[in-house]
Amino acid sequence: MVLIGESIHIIAQEVNDAVKERNPKVILDLAKAQAQAGADYIDVNLGPAKRDPEEMPKWLAETIQQVADLPLSIDTLNPVAMEAGLKACKKRPLLNSASGRTDSKELMLPLAKKYNTDVVISVLTDKGCPPDVDSRIESIMDTVAIANEMGIPNEDIWVDPIILPVSADQKQVWEAVEFIGMLQDLLPGVKSTIGLSNVSNGTPEELRGILNRTYMVMLGRRGLYSAIADVLDEELVKLNKGELPKIVDLIYKTMDGEAPDLGSLTKKEQDYVKTAKVLMGETLYSHAWLES
Amino acid sequence: MDYKAPLETYTGKVAEVVIGKGDKAIKIGGESVLPFHFFEGTIANRPRLALEMLDAEPEGWAQWLIAPYKDVTKDPAAWAKKALGYGADLVMLRLVSTDPGGANAPADKAAAAVKQVAAAISTPLVVYGCGDENKDIEVLTKVAEACSGEGLLLGPVVKENYEPISKAAIEHGHSIVAQSPLDINLEKELNVKLLKSMPANRIVIDPLSSALGYGMEYSFTIMERTKHIGVMFGDNTMQMPIIADLGAECWKTKQAKESEKQGLLWESITALSLLLAGANLLVMRHPETCKLMKEAIEGKI
Repeated sequence: MVLIGESIHIIAQEVNDAVKERNPKVILDLAKAQAQAGADYIDVNLGPAKRDPEEMPKWLAETIQQVADLPLSIDTLNPVAMEAGLKACKKRPLLNSASGRTDSKELMLPLAKKYNTDVVISVLTDKGCPPDVDSRIESIMDTVAIANEMGIPNEDIWVDPIILPVSADQKQVWEAVEFIGMLQDLLPGVKSTIGLSNVSNGTPEELRGILNRTYMVMLGRRGLYSAIADVLDEELVKLNKGELPKIVDLIYKTMDGEAPDLGSLTKKEQDYVKTAKVLMGETLYSHAWLES
Repeated sequence: MDYKAPLETYTGKVAEVVIGKGDKAIKIGGESVLPFHFFEGTIANRPRLALEMLDAEPEGWAQWLIAPYKDVTKDPAAWAKKALGYGADLVMLRLVSTDPGGANAPADKAAAAVKQVAAAISTPLVVYGCGDENKDIEVLTKVAEACSGEGLLLGPVVKENYEPISKAAIEHGHSIVAQSPLDINLEKELNVKLLKSMPANRIVIDPLSSALGYGMEYSFTIMERTKHIGVMFGDNTMQMPIIADLGAECWKTKQAKESEKQGLLWESITALSLLLAGANLLVMRHPETCKLMKEAIEGKI
């Protein structure tokens, strides 16, 4: 799976401060660390960038590219900041993201065409996040058709089903897995991505990693092409590289309803099985899901 | 060809919690089917009905709510007897006097009042603290000690104070009410924590019961899902009986304060709805509601 490093995010206080002061140190460190950890892309989350949509994205993109020889994912809903960011990219960037919202179709998709980028298209619409699989499909079919008409081929489109935290809406976590599984039949050739860490938003910090990792393996099995993720999580990167085949196999078996008896497993293996069951909606989520 | 109604099969069973001791004891829970699904399996115990009383004179109660108890509100033991005289299965004593925002009565005094009430009546007792998570530690541990062996149902126990209160309950042979703020995930988390030190048959779930028009559907959904998850899907961290503490919520509504008839309708409809959702123990304020629920449970209406 293609991993897009999520750490340069304007909501993170240290990143926000660094950007305001144009202090490159924090940015360079995060870019370097993510590149070394094995990121394939670096996400550059600019936020709304209301005050400074021209210079700030340029500075940030250029700073990152001083130390990371990787393509960037320019992440903002502001089309002016998006364009400034895309212009500053040395490698073919990822526009992150467009959606089924009217303003996005009118302003973001043309940018993807103009700068010949790959483009994330999410299932969001003017009404917000579609509530179930069918309405997600309806939204994405509609937006991809519009992109195709503009001359953006399926191969350049990374579909984002939008996932919500398991602690907020457990049911749709598994629905997103099903959605990813259907994608190639619906839109042959499209790629896909998700904001992986969102699944564990609201979960106690020390427990977030195992949710992210387990979910990545489950989605990967159904064909997920990429994830915006915490690449500084070593175990996540190892799992993605296939270096932990036993854990992967255990998660697959759990998905197939063939999880081995917990008593025969190590604590770590048990935790992965329990987590997979929570993400599948088989066990009701609570913050104490590993404790029972 | 004969028609055969499809029947559900269930994998879980709700724990049976005993409140009280000896001949006085009452059991709640124990069912292995959804509420009122008599045709699919066993419902070991019918839902039980409690009337609420306070350890101090009520403040802000409508006159028609006080009327049934007008001579006894100064005397908890007499109030408890009166409530039972109206046909309640048991009494719920709320220790409002201990509220730090109010009279802030000391734990000793509250514990003595509980002991007095318990001695005066022939039925088990549910005891709720004032709901202040710190003060309730003091009060409920003291009550547990003073009434050792009485088999009280003590609550509410919340995420912030479950450890000392559940420890005292175990030590003195009581059961506890685990309360969570209208959130099934937090409900489960508290159950998981409690189950590490006590068995399911000593725990009753209070998911909070909102009144009709004030969020009752949230309470309904959570109770319904709790039963689904516990009984249909066999999640043993969700197999405790449920208490619906609804009277106070209903009688503080604008509608209940405007007229007695509206108040009775409000409390009755809320009570009946939560019974259908799966509540095993109802806590009401008005004797008429209690009577009506009894008739409903017995199939007379």
